[in-house]
Amino acid sequence: MKPESILPMRTSHHCHSCISRRQCLQILSSAGVGLAMSGNLVRGLAQSSKPAPDFVDPDKLRPKPKIRLDAAILQQPRPYWLGWPGTAYDLDARQQEYRSSLRESCQRLGIDVREEAKPVEDEAGLAALLNGVKGRKPDGLLVILQHMQCWPWANRLSKEAGVPLIVFSPIGTSFTGHVNNISRQPGVHVVSTLHWPAVENGLRMIRARRLFEESRILWIRGDQRNETVLERLGTKVRAVPRKTFNELFDKMPVNEEVRDLAADFRRGARRVVEPNEEDGLNCVRAYTAAKRLLADEQANALSMDCLGMVGARLVPTPPCGAWTMLQDQGITAGCEADLHGATSMMLTSYLLDRPGYMNDPVAETARNLLIVSHCTSGTRLNGFAQKPSPYILRSHSESALGVAVQVLWPVGEKATLVRFRNPNELILDTGTVVSNVDTPPAGGCRTSVELKMDDIEDCRDVLGFHQVVTLGDHRRIIEGFCQLYGINVVHSPRYESHPKLAA
Amino acid sequence: MSTIHPASALLRRSRHPAILLLIIATCLSTAAAVRFASPGFAPSVMDDQGRLAEEWGLLQVTLSESGPGAEPSVTSILLDGVIPAAQARSQHGPLAMTLTAFRSPIWPAGVDVLTAEIEETGEAPARTSLALRLPDNVRVGARTVALGARTVVALPAGTHASQATREWGWSDDAVSMPNWARPSADCDPAFQNIRAGMGGVPILYGFKVEPKSSLTVVLGFCESHWAQSGQRPMLCRVEGAPPQEIDPIARWGQHRPGALLFNARDANGDGKLDVAVLPQLGAPDQNPILNAIWLFPPTASLNLDQVIAGRLNGVAIRRVDVGGKEDQCLFAGGTVEYSVELPARGKAAFTFLVACQGASAPHPDQSVWTLEKLRAAAREVWQGWRQP
Repeated sequence: MKPESILPMRTSHHCHSCISRRQCLQILSSAGVGLAMSGNLVRGLAQSSKPAPDFVDPDKLRPKPKIRLDAAILQQPRPYWLGWPGTAYDLDARQQEYRSSLRESCQRLGIDVREEAKPVEDEAGLAALLNGVKGRKPDGLLVILQHMQCWPWANRLSKEAGVPLIVFSPIGTSFTGHVNNISRQPGVHVVSTLHWPAVENGLRMIRARRLFEESRILWIRGDQRNETVLERLGTKVRAVPRKTFNELFDKMPVNEEVRDLAADFRRGARRVVEPNEEDGLNCVRAYTAAKRLLADEQANALSMDCLGMVGARLVPTPPCGAWTMLQDQGITAGCEADLHGATSMMLTSYLLDRPGYMNDPVAETARNLLIVSHCTSGTRLNGFAQKPSPYILRSHSESALGVAVQVLWPVGEKATLVRFRNPNELILDTGTVVSNVDTPPAGGCRTSVELKMDDIEDCRDVLGFHQVVTLGDHRRIIEGFCQLYGINVVHSPRYESHPKLAA
Repeated sequence: MSTIHPASALLRRSRHPAILLLIIATCLSTAAAVRFASPGFAPSVMDDQGRLAEEWGLLQVTLSESGPGAEPSVTSILLDGVIPAAQARSQHGPLAMTLTAFRSPIWPAGVDVLTAEIEETGEAPARTSLALRLPDNVRVGARTVALGARTVVALPAGTHASQATREWGWSDDAVSMPNWARPSADCDPAFQNIRAGMGGVPILYGFKVEPKSSLTVVLGFCESHWAQSGQRPMLCRVEGAPPQEIDPIARWGQHRPGALLFNARDANGDGKLDVAVLPQLGAPDQNPILNAIWLFPPTASLNLDQVIAGRLNGVAIRRVDVGGKEDQCLFAGGTVEYSVELPARGKAAFTFLVACQGASAPHPDQSVWTLEKLRAAAREVWQGWRQP
């Protein structure tokens, strides 16, 4: 087994290298993904094995909503003569290309697309499209513009369709003046480009919103049991008494899944510093307890008062390592019962297909850097289907207990910070990874990453606490998502915001 | 509506006995008050008069044609087969009114959704006025009704607010804190009590006066929290007078009662004199305080030490023990009215979002909740709810 690839992945499995043999077989048989795997041996084993009755397939914990998209091409009656995109523009070729790309994207993202068979090219066609959309109420509408004179129709759709609208304007179908206003309108995402992945990003926004809407997050804290719904995101929040988790943890057996995963977790680490084998087993028991609880509650994410539990010595291990494992499988596992921290993590998971971790922000004033620090970073920083980054197994630093992970973030790469202040407002900033901070000599949390922030003169002015940091510069897609769903985006101030204090 | 009792309908589809028994018990209590809630939260009550009884006050919806014989019949129902709700039906001449209330489980603690539907049941167009009667001490705004800093009702558009005001009182989101101060000198007992603008909200008072008239206003302060100056500097604005900054510790010291005098005037001629105490910009403590207000005739010759001692109370037009027992809100409750015109057999509906226990109502200008979404949220939560 390759040491860098032991954490279970949610997608694109290569069974000989990614997870423990037994768990792989269980996933194969329960999720029915065996045909996607390579190798006759694996296929044969998958057919003959049955999952353990207590096994919870993590793949089933991620919501799988039905996502409905309507799509139409808007054009002017042919033949074209003067006016952009021009007489030389090959309408049939372009439309065939875009239809093909759309189908591929929708298949990749699990979106049911309903394409208008013929392009809309007059007012009657537009009215029929509008009526159809109003009746069907899809999760989103995509229109592909094939002439500059189609913009009045796009503007009308943005006001009357009543669903999120993505307008794809291939280069040659708009000037700045066409997109200037509509591209800043809530409920609309305009993509003026030849770069199809940018259009797919629009589809990802619609998918992310449906994932939020279909999700139930467990809010494990206190002693109350109730359920509420978040505005705008539609996510259900089920409050669950804190003791539910530690009582379940106590019942979790050290079974084959636990032993295999603990061994794999250890084997994949670049180094193991503090944790012993028992710590590793307890870490995976926390992981299996979390999976079991999520499955029992028909939930898809969680955020737990972990520090409180450790402080009260209700569990022998903080759940940090377990949370890392869940994060890598696209299942949000948040710390300290910080609900909006958890929804921010869901955003990176659902929109970007990659983990984020909520952090305690620290000002490094000597070099004007922001240090983002916590003990629960995922390892698949480049995406759930990508190879994990190198990591070191440590203890949870504040308690010196259990297993936490120091994930080594790639120096020189961009990173994005997001934080829902509430479901209506999001803090969004970007920066560049400068270095990984070791503990010791530093105190604080195990994964500690120094960032040089963009567009912020002084690192002390970075907004928020428990911002979620994720690898890559995702400013545009996150801004697009927020605009599409009416979420206000704020950035940290570029210049110092505090008045000089008197001595 | 089905003739099957909603409890039995639920019995057939529910798999969760504990919550089921609770609902059945509620459902069987028809003809009296009806409770409704969302999973895990304390219930609200529609009483046998069809009024919504919240922990902060009583709400009543009436029609202008209400009169004898308009006694509502109150029952419990299940909306969408799963959402516990209370319903009151009443007949007002040719108009039938149905009030329906359910709890939508919006984060963090839910909101009660009260819909009033009016139907013309005769054969002629009708005109009426729907009134939402509110408890004392609330403030009615364009789209909300507030109690202190809490939004207790979100109103549908088209409100015609009609709310009585008293002769004087506070109109702010501050809080009263009796016996907060410990004055160390002989003084008016009002110096023991304060209102405090927690979170930096201003303290606001209004007094009915002769339009354009002049008065002498004295504001009393006693700082008993801070011992050092510079912590709670405040800005005092009294209508018609230059604003004054005050740092009570720097001016008088800890626990020392002090007073400021203003030559005030109803400058805008609206017949109301406005008094405000605000936090000074950049103050470390942003919570303004105020202990006492006196209004004197403009010609009165005042010795502030005598005012502080309470020896001039007899000549004051008004003395306000701010935050004390006799202090009051400027607003005397009120009614929010809607004019309704219906064609024959026509219908109209109004939806009010009402704060339930432990929550505020969402502000209509800052929220995307709609009746449809609120009901969908309730439906989804009840459908997925279970007790372990």
